[in-house]
Amino acid sequence: MVGSTAQEKTAPAAGPSAAGATQYIEVRGLTAAYDDKVVVKDISFSVASGEHLSLLGPSGCGKSTTLRCIAGLETPIAGEIVIDGVPVFSSRKGINVPTEKRKLSMVFQSYAIWPHMTVFENVAYALRVQRVREAEIKARVAEVLRMVGMEDYMMRPATNLSGGQQQRVALARSYAARPKAMLLDEPLSNLDARLRVRMREEIKELQHRFNLSTIYVTHDQEEAMAISDRIIIMREGNIEQAGKPLDIYDTPRTRFVADFIGAANILVGSVEKAGASGAPVMKIGEAAIECAPGSQPQKPASDGRHMIAVRTVYPELRREPFAGGANVWKATVRRRVLLGDIVSYLVEWPGGELRIQSFPRDLFDEGEAVHLHIAPAHVIPIAAD
Amino acid sequence: MKIAAVEPAALPAAGRRARAHVGIEVWMPLVLLTGALGYPFFLLITSAFNVGDPQALPAVEYGFTNFVDLTSHLDWIYNTLLIATGGTILGITIGIGLAWTIHRTTVPGRNWFELLVAIPYPLGPLVGALAWSQLGAPRDGLINRAFMWATGGNSPLFDIYTPLGIIFVEAIFEAPVAVLIIGAAMQRMDPSLEESSSIFGGGKWRTAIKITLPLMLPAILSAALFMFTSIIGSFAIPTILGTSARFYVATNAIYVLFQGYPPNYPLAAALGLVLIVITGVAVWLVQRVLRGRSYVVVTGRAYRPRQVDMRGWTWPLFALASLYVVISLVLPLGALLLASVQTSSDLAFDPSTWTLANYKYVIVDFPTTRQAIINSLILGVGTGTLGVACATLIAIAVHRSKSSGRKLLEQVTMLPQAFPRLIFAFGFLWMILTLPIQLYGTLLAVLLAYIVVFLPLAYRGMSGVVVQIDSALEEAARVGGASWSRVLRTVTVPLLRSGILATWALLFMVSVREISASLFLSDAHTPVLGPAIFSFWDSGGLPRVSALAMVQALIILIALYAVRRWAGREIKV
Repeated sequence: MVGSTAQEKTAPAAGPSAAGATQYIEVRGLTAAYDDKVVVKDISFSVASGEHLSLLGPSGCGKSTTLRCIAGLETPIAGEIVIDGVPVFSSRKGINVPTEKRKLSMVFQSYAIWPHMTVFENVAYALRVQRVREAEIKARVAEVLRMVGMEDYMMRPATNLSGGQQQRVALARSYAARPKAMLLDEPLSNLDARLRVRMREEIKELQHRFNLSTIYVTHDQEEAMAISDRIIIMREGNIEQAGKPLDIYDTPRTRFVADFIGAANILVGSVEKAGASGAPVMKIGEAAIECAPGSQPQKPASDGRHMIAVRTVYPELRREPFAGGANVWKATVRRRVLLGDIVSYLVEWPGGELRIQSFPRDLFDEGEAVHLHIAPAHVIPIAAD
Repeated sequence: MKIAAVEPAALPAAGRRARAHVGIEVWMPLVLLTGALGYPFFLLITSAFNVGDPQALPAVEYGFTNFVDLTSHLDWIYNTLLIATGGTILGITIGIGLAWTIHRTTVPGRNWFELLVAIPYPLGPLVGALAWSQLGAPRDGLINRAFMWATGGNSPLFDIYTPLGIIFVEAIFEAPVAVLIIGAAMQRMDPSLEESSSIFGGGKWRTAIKITLPLMLPAILSAALFMFTSIIGSFAIPTILGTSARFYVATNAIYVLFQGYPPNYPLAAALGLVLIVITGVAVWLVQRVLRGRSYVVVTGRAYRPRQVDMRGWTWPLFALASLYVVISLVLPLGALLLASVQTSSDLAFDPSTWTLANYKYVIVDFPTTRQAIINSLILGVGTGTLGVACATLIAIAVHRSKSSGRKLLEQVTMLPQAFPRLIFAFGFLWMILTLPIQLYGTLLAVLLAYIVVFLPLAYRGMSGVVVQIDSALEEAARVGGASWSRVLRTVTVPLLRSGILATWALLFMVSVREISASLFLSDAHTPVLGPAIFSFWDSGGLPRVSALAMVQALIILIALYAVRRWAGREIKV
C-alpha cells in the first residue's frame, strides 16, 4: 500500500501548480460501480478555491457516490481525483490515499454523531487525531461550538440531541478539523421544512466565514439554488448540465433540467423558419413562437418534434394589448389558483395551454380574455430526453 | 341523536379510567408468571434456611447452618465461577471474531459460515460433552490417539477432563449466541459512524478502538451476561467431563446432594440460592455499566455494514472460522457417528464391523429410550406451540396495550433468564410436590417448567417481531370495523408468521436438547431425551449412548433444515 507522504513527494508538479490556485479539487474521468452496476460514468469537473459546488439530482443519479469517491469511502474503478494539487486517487498511477489521510471533512445525512461521546469529544475528535495541544483543543472546540450556537451543550452526551442540534454538532465537528475541503451529503434531508430553511442559511453563513471549498450533495433544487456558487446536475451517472444557478434556471439545456429545476412549460412543436432576428421560430399548435436570440433547435424527440421550455414566471398577462413585437397573443384565463404569496393561472392561448405564475395583484378572473406576451429571450429550445 | 348526546359525557370518564386501569391482558399473565416464579423461589429460600427435618416442606425451623456448611465446600462455588468466567471470556472472544469475520470482512464463504456457526448452540452441551469426551480423553480420545500415533510417543496432546477442557467445550457451544447478538448489533450500526472517524483522520485501529468497540460494548456485555448465566447453570458439560477428575461445580454438586442418601435438600437449596445471588449480581453489574448506553438499539433499521478487506488476514480468518466449524460441528458429529455404529466401546475403524443395531436398540427395542424420544418430540411441539402463544400474547400486551404495568410484565417475563435452569427446576419440583393436584411424574410438569424457563427466549423472539410491525396496520383494521380478536387473527398473526415460525423452531430445538430443567422433573415413567442420554452415559455403554445422542442431534438438524426451507433465509438459529 502506498502512503500519502510518498505521493506528496512523487506527485508531478505539472498541471495542479498552474491550475491549483483556482482549481482546488479536480475530478477527471471518474467512473464508479457497485458490484457490476456502473453508477458514475466517466465524469469530470472541478471546484475552485473557496467555491461552493452542489451536486444535484434525483436519487440514484450517482451524486452521493461521486462525493464518497472524493472522500475515499468508495474506490472508483477509473479516473483521477486531485485535492490541493495532490492526487489522492489515480487508477492510472495506482494511487489511492486512504480516507483518513485526505484531510477532508464530511457531514453525513445521518449526521454520524458518535452516541458514546459528549458533544465536546465529538468535536475534539479530529483535533486529537491531529495531536493538537489540549489547551488549544479546548479553545477551538469552544469557539466553533459558539459559532453554531451549541456552546451550552458542550459537556452533554451526544444522545438525545434533536435533529437540528445534531446537525449543528456535525457542522462544528467538520469546521473544527480545519479541513482542506468540506463535503456535505444531503445534510438537511432529515430536518423538517422550517428548520431546513434556517440551517440552509446558517450553512451559507459558515461557508462565507470559513471560505472553504465545498461540495454539497442534495436532491432538493431549492436548496442547491439557494446555497451554491455553481451547480452540477447529474442524471444516471452523467453530468446533465453545469453552471451558475441562475444560468441553469434561465437556460436549461434539456427537458430533464427544465423539469428538475424550477417550474417550466414544456412546449412541443416543429421548427418553422428563422425569424427576423435569426433565432428559430417554432410552430406550437396554432401559434408561431420566436425563440431566444442566438439559440438553436436542440435534439428532437423520437417522433421528430422539437421542444422548448418557458418558465412559468416569465410570460406576461395584461388586460390591454401589448404594443406589438414578437410573441404576442390573445388568450383566455381558464383557471386561477391562489397559493398565498403567488397566484397560478392556467391560460388558453393559440399554442394550447400555458401555466403562468405571478403575484396576487390585479387578479384576472377565470374566463377573462387577456393579452399574453412571452419575451423571446425566455423561450429556450431544449433537448428532448 | 341520542348516541351523540351520550358520547361526549362518556369519553372523559373512559379516558380517566384507561390511565389507572390494569387490563386483563397484563394482569393475568403477570399473576400467573409471578406465581410460577415466585412460589418455587419462596420454597427454595425456606429450604435453604431449613435447619430442621430436611424433608419438611415448607420448613419448620430456620437458621444459617446450611450456609455455614457451604463454607466447607467453597471449591464448588470457586469451580463454578472459574468455568463460567473462563468460558465466557473464551466464548465472547470466539463470538466477536466470528461475528466480525461474518459481517464485517470480505472473507469468502461468509454466508455459509453464518449458517454453520449457528448450529452448535441448538445441538447443545450434552452432544458436545459426549463427543468431546470421545475426542479429547487423555488415552482413548480420538484426537489424542491420532496425535500419539503421529508422534510415536505416548503422551497425549491434551486432556479434556480438566477445568480448561470444560471451559473449552462450554465456550465453543455457547459462542453461537454471542455471534448472533453481536452480529445483530453490527448490522444495526450506522456505517457512517465509522466512516466519519476515517474522514476526521482516524486510522483503522483508532476507529476500531474508539468507535466500533464502544458502540458494540452493550451487545458484547449482554452476550457475556447470557453466557455467564448459562454456564453457571450448565450441568451436562462439567458433569460428563469433570466427574472422573472429581471436579465439582455447583450444578452437579446439587445433583449429587439431591440424589445422595439421605438427600440433603437444604444444602442443595442453599447452594442454589448462592448461584441465584451470583447471577443476580452479574445482571446488576451489567445493567450498571450499560446505564445510559442503550444507543445501539436506538434504530431498528438494518444497515449493510461496511465490509473491510482484510488483505493478508483474509485466509488466516477463513482458516480460524473453518477451525471453529470443525471443532464445534464436524469433529463432534463425526466422533458420535463413529461411536454409534460400533459393536463395543473399543472403536473400530473397519467399516465392515460397523452396525446400525445401536440405533435399532435405542429407537425400537429399548422401551425407556423409545419413550424418551417420543416424549421429547411431544415436549418440543408442546413447548413450541404454547410458548409461542404465551410469548405472542405477552409481546402484544407489552407493546400494543395501553394498560399500566406493561413494563413490569416484560421484566417478569424476562426474569427466568437470570435463574440457572437447574435451580429453577429444583424449586419447581417442590412446588409441584406441594400442589394439591398430582403433577409429579407427568409430562405436563416438564412441559410447564419448559414453558416458564424458555419464556424469555420466546418473548425476545416475538417482541422483536411485534415491535417492527407498524401499529397503523392494525389500527387500519380496527377502523375498518374489525373486533380485537379479528384483528389478531387476520392482521397481526399473519404479519408475525415468519417470526412465529422461527421462534417455534427455536423452542422446539432447545426443548429437545434440554437436560438441566428436566433432570429433576422427569422420572422413570416419563423419560425425556436429555436425562435419558445422561443416565445412559452412566450405564449404557458408549455405542448406545452415542446412537441416542445422534438421534437427538438428527431431530434438531431436521428441525433446523425445515425451518430454513419454510421460513426462508431471514431466519437464524
